[in-house]
Order: sequence, then structure tokens, then C-alpha cells
Amino acid sequence: MSKETLELPLTRSWRDIPQAVKPRAMSREGRRRFLLRACRLLGAVATLVAAGWASWQVAQVWDNGSRHLPDAAEAKPIGKNLLLQTDGVLDQAWLAATLALPKKATLMDLDLTKLKARLLVHGQVATAALVRKFPATLSVRLTERMPIARVMAEAAGGERSALLVARDGAVYPGVGYDRDLIESLPWLDGIKLTPQAGGYAPIVGMDAVADLLGRAKLEADWLYRDWHAVSLARLESDGQIGVRLRSGTSIIFSAKDDFFGQLAKLDYILDTAASAHPGQPTVGEIDLSLGNQVPVRLIAAPAPAPAPLPVSPPSALATIPRIQVP
Amino acid sequence: MSSHHTFIGAVEIGTSKVTALVGEYTGRDLTIIGYGECPSRGVVKGAIADFKAASDCTHAALEQAEKMAGERIDYVYLAQTGGHLDGFYNEAVVNVKSADNMIDRNDIRTVCELAQAKELPAGRMVVHHIRRPFRVDGRLVPTSPENLVGQRLEVGYWTVHGQEQRLADTIHVIRGCNLEVRELVLSSLASGFMVTTPEERQNGVLAIDIGGGTTDYVLYRDGVPHTTGVLPIGGTHVTNDLSIGLRLTEPQAEKLKLRFGRAIVQARDKADKVWLDGNFAIGDRQFPRQAIEQITSARIWELFEVVKKKLGNSFSPETCATGVVLTGGTARLPAITECAAKVFGLPAHLGEAPTSIADHLREPGQHTALGLLYYCVSRQSEGASPRRKGGGFLRGVSRIFAGA
Repeated sequence: MSKETLELPLTRSWRDIPQAVKPRAMSREGRRRFLLRACRLLGAVATLVAAGWASWQVAQVWDNGSRHLPDAAEAKPIGKNLLLQTDGVLDQAWLAATLALPKKATLMDLDLTKLKARLLVHGQVATAALVRKFPATLSVRLTERMPIARVMAEAAGGERSALLVARDGAVYPGVGYDRDLIESLPWLDGIKLTPQAGGYAPIVGMDAVADLLGRAKLEADWLYRDWHAVSLARLESDGQIGVRLRSGTSIIFSAKDDFFGQLAKLDYILDTAASAHPGQPTVGEIDLSLGNQVPVRLIAAPAPAPAPLPVSPPSALATIPRIQVP
Repeated sequence: MSSHHTFIGAVEIGTSKVTALVGEYTGRDLTIIGYGECPSRGVVKGAIADFKAASDCTHAALEQAEKMAGERIDYVYLAQTGGHLDGFYNEAVVNVKSADNMIDRNDIRTVCELAQAKELPAGRMVVHHIRRPFRVDGRLVPTSPENLVGQRLEVGYWTVHGQEQRLADTIHVIRGCNLEVRELVLSSLASGFMVTTPEERQNGVLAIDIGGGTTDYVLYRDGVPHTTGVLPIGGTHVTNDLSIGLRLTEPQAEKLKLRFGRAIVQARDKADKVWLDGNFAIGDRQFPRQAIEQITSARIWELFEVVKKKLGNSFSPETCATGVVLTGGTARLPAITECAAKVFGLPAHLGEAPTSIADHLREPGQHTALGLLYYCVSRQSEGASPRRKGGGFLRGVSRIFAGA
């Protein structure tokens, strides 16, 4: 018997039974295994793609890096090539003066960290980013603090100077601001400035003051324009912010309550007082920190001609009425 | 965990229980790291009768084994039993072609292909082709005959085949768990490999695995399986006999079988009675011990007689010098070895798994699943090297996401 002369019958083995199975025919465990396997496959593909992308990125960096090397080698003196981008009022001249770059300095000569520190010394600058742009441009991007109040500081020698205060409490000498803007800012009172590294430490509690001033300027500008000074003396202890108007009237706000409501009450009271005594200041103090009960101290009407009374009145002030504000 | 490790599942879907093992194979060593067992449902005499029920309990056993192992199974070796399995012997002879009569690879391949090429009836599929030793001019050659000189080369194969639907059902139970069936192995080959030594197989030994619904046997001669067979009779038939004979429910009969059943009648006193439960509760009854022993022994005796008859001329005390080795859950029946010795006229003993294996896995009922792992792994190491888990970049990357 030989193989060549015979047609061998095909025997079917159990291996011919198809093992493919659809997910819907699987048990819960089978489907879980199927999903896991699919996730593994996807993960593998994702890893491959990520690896490919990373390789491409490395190649790009390598290529760009080598292209930048000649640029860096050919760096030229910066001169006046300072590019300033800011959201405030500082200008190119201030930048040049502050950085004080040597005339023949190239970009590679600059220590950007030191230059950045030099900019940040000025309290008006909140953040600074310096970028070399070859061959000879230094790009500076600044974000500036905005003043919300003024403060009068007195140096050890008795020299007085007006400084600006930002929302975060930073105290700094303002540069480049419009004079009218500065004049419109209220003065701060009841605070103690603490010297710190060539300037002053930030004032605590300015967030609440900034909210009050911002709200007043936005919602009741006719009131705000008359505000002369803001006192933080009782902010920490009683949560109160005092405001003194140019007319001499004192107003006490609660830092814990909604400022909008308090401003509405203030407007109502001042309107009521003005209509009662037109052209004559009659209100001495308004306390808005007690909720709906608003004590108002009135200024007594001018005293009549002195009469030969044996005893003078106990006080120049009238009694403090309580006005129920709607 | 090293990337060289493979996690192999061994599953036996039996009539009384489903056993799943997880083995960690390093290419050299095999360690059992997971074990799961679930009472079998939907399986009758080793065949799947209710696919859903059988799938549920098989998947439960696999899940339990994986949980214990803490690893995911890569593929499965599956034990196959059932009355549909059958076997036949076919041999072929070729004349050695070369002028100097030296046998070459082509001669060997030709004779093997011829011996395996026998048409099966419709709907039947080959499960195993088990090769018997070559013969060169009538001379037995236990290893390869390549480069030996002779004129006639003979070889024979014992071919095990089964019904296609039954085989597919068993495979689909595992596929429902989305696991690949890498090998389908006759239960008797698995358990026989576990409970016999290479020396015993060389000298001739008959291994009988008496399960719940089937009895699988394999006769080894000259170191290889010579004849295999499956009988659709098992421990449940003994229980059934007791149930009918003593008018009991099946659980009661099972309880009596386990407590008082014997393969050889020992009780001489007909008046010697035993309690069903022994707790003096209402409904507890007495039964003659002798009757229980007679029923169990008769069935076991008959079982061995059928095995002997099935083996026919293949079996003789001369060709089976080592004797009979018994395994399977029913092999725990007292005096069963004495019964086997009497029927086969040979010494018989209970098969034991190696002592290196954990105690709870050395029970006779676990030998098939254990043998499945060891049999396949030994064949794998003899042949092609195992598929390495870290064998490719993609596979390595995917293992990162496996979390195992």
C-alpha cells in the first residue's frame, strides 16, 4: 500500500469545530472578558500611537533646536528692541528705565530671572513674563494691579507721600495713572502700614473694601463721588467699614451684609434728609451695620442767639432717632 | 509576575460536579494556583443536556478558580467524556522506499497518514489519534524508527471519535466564557496519566475512572494508551439502584451509599440493620446492611465485568502486569479494589496523585482535572515549546493594560 496510489479520506477533527462566538452569545463573565480584551487591544494601539507621536515630537524638538542654535549664535545687541504688552498704563519708557539694559547687551547676555525680579519690585506689576525673540528682541508681558484707594504714608523723616492700594492689599507708588483717576480714589484710614523689603506689607481686609467701593462705583456713583475716606479701624474687630463723606457725614457699613442693600438704604436716608432740609447738611452719622434698624445721628440746627441761661445745653447733638428703613 | 508565565485552565464538566483548575506554567514548571468547583447541572451521563445550566455552573467554577488564582486564564484544556465517544484501531504498512532499506522521514509520515486515514461515519469527529509503537519487519520499536534498516514499516493508531454536536456543545460552554479551548482530552487519558507511573504504563496497566455518570478506562501497553473506552455507568447508577431497591429518594440513597455501601459484601447477618439518618427523628428508618452491600456490590461488579468485556482480547493478565488502578469519586467505595482484583484477576489499588499536590486536590474526584493539566503540559513540553506570554511587543504592551 502506498500513499500515491490511494486517495486518503478526510477525517474531521474536533479542531474543525469553529470556536468563534458572538458577544451576545457569551455569558456575563465572557462579555467582561471580551471587553477587557478589547480594552487591552485599544490600550496597546493607544500606546503605539502615543509612542509614535512622542517620537515625532522629539524629532521636531531636535530639528527646531538645531535650527535655533545658529540664531542664538548670531544674537545682536538689543538696543531699543523692547516689546511691551501690558493690560495697564505702564509704557515703554518706564520699562526701559526699569530694566536698564546695557547698550551692547545681546539676548544671550541677559539674565531673565534677574530682570523679572527687577520688574516685580514695583508693586504696580503683578506678573511679568520675559521671552527672548532672536535675533534681538526682548518681549515683556505684564499684568498690572489696579488701584482702588489711596493712602498717605509718612516716612521716618516725616516726609509724606501718597501711595496707591490695590484690591489684594498691595501698596505701591502709582506710575502713569491719570490724575483725575487718582483724585477720585478715596483715602484709607484706620490702618497701620508695615515697612517691608523697600515697600510696605499688603493691607489686610482690602477684599471687603474693594467689594464695597466697586459696588458703590457701579451702582451708586453719585454717592461714591462724595466719599472722602474709608476707615478699616473696626473691620477686624467688628466687621465694620467706615466711610466719611466730603460733607463730614460718617457712614458705617457692615462687611458681613450685602453692600447693595446697604447702599440702597443709604441713598434713601440721604434723600429723605436732603428733602427735609434742602441745602443744609443735617446728618452726622448713619450706621448701616445693624440690619433693618438704622440709627441716624442728626446734626442739631444752629443754636439761637445765646440767652442768659445759667446752664448750657448738655450736648450740641440732638437725640438719635431710629429710622425704620423700608 | 514574569512575562514568561502562562495561565492554563483545566476544566472537567462532570455529571456530579464541574471542576476548574488554574495552572501557572513557566515552560518548565507547573504550579496549581487556582481551584474552583461547582455542583453540576444540566449534564447527564457526561453529555450536555441543558446548555444554560451547564454554562452557568462551568462559568461559576472558572470564575472561582480565577479569583483564587488572582490571574486571568489564557486558554483552557477541556476534558471530554460521554457515552457517544468510541474508538477503533487501524493500522498501515509501507515498504521502505530507499535502496539501502533505511527508513527516512517520508516513510514514517506516509505510514502515519495511512494509519490515521480511515473514514468516519457522518457526524463523527476525531478526538484523539493515539499512536501505538512502530514495528519494523515485525520488530517492536518503542521510539522513532528513523534511520533503522528494514523492509516493512508498520504502525497502528487507536482513534477516539465522538459525535460532532456533543463535542461542539462542550466546547461552546467554554467559548461562552470567551476562553479558547486549546486541547480536548479524553477524561480517561487525563486521569490515567495522573494515577499511573511511566513504569506502570510500560509494563501494562488498566486505569479505571469511575465518575458520577460515566466510567472512563484506559489500558496502557508498551508505555502508550492501547485502548480507551467510556461506559455511561457511574456512581449515580449505584445510587439509583439503592433508591429503587430500598424505595428511597435519591438523596437518601446517596447518603446510605456513602455511609454503608461496599463493593464486596461483608455483612453476614441479615438481621444487622442500619438507620437511615441515625438521629432518631420522625421518619428515620432501618435498612438491612446486607441488602445495601448486595445492591452496591452487584452494580460495581457488573461495571467491572462490562469494562473487561469491552476490553476483550486487548486485556489479559500477561499484558497488564501492573494490574488495575482505580480513581474517580466512586472509587472511594470501600472494598472496591478487592472487587476489581477479583473481576480482573489482577492486583488493584487506588490511584494517588503526587504528594507535592495540595491535599484537597489529591482526592480521587480531582484526578481528571489534575491529569488534564499535567498530561497536556507534558505533551506540550515534548513537542513545541509553549506559547510565551511575552513573545511580542504588542502582547507585552497589552499586558500592561491587563492590570494583572
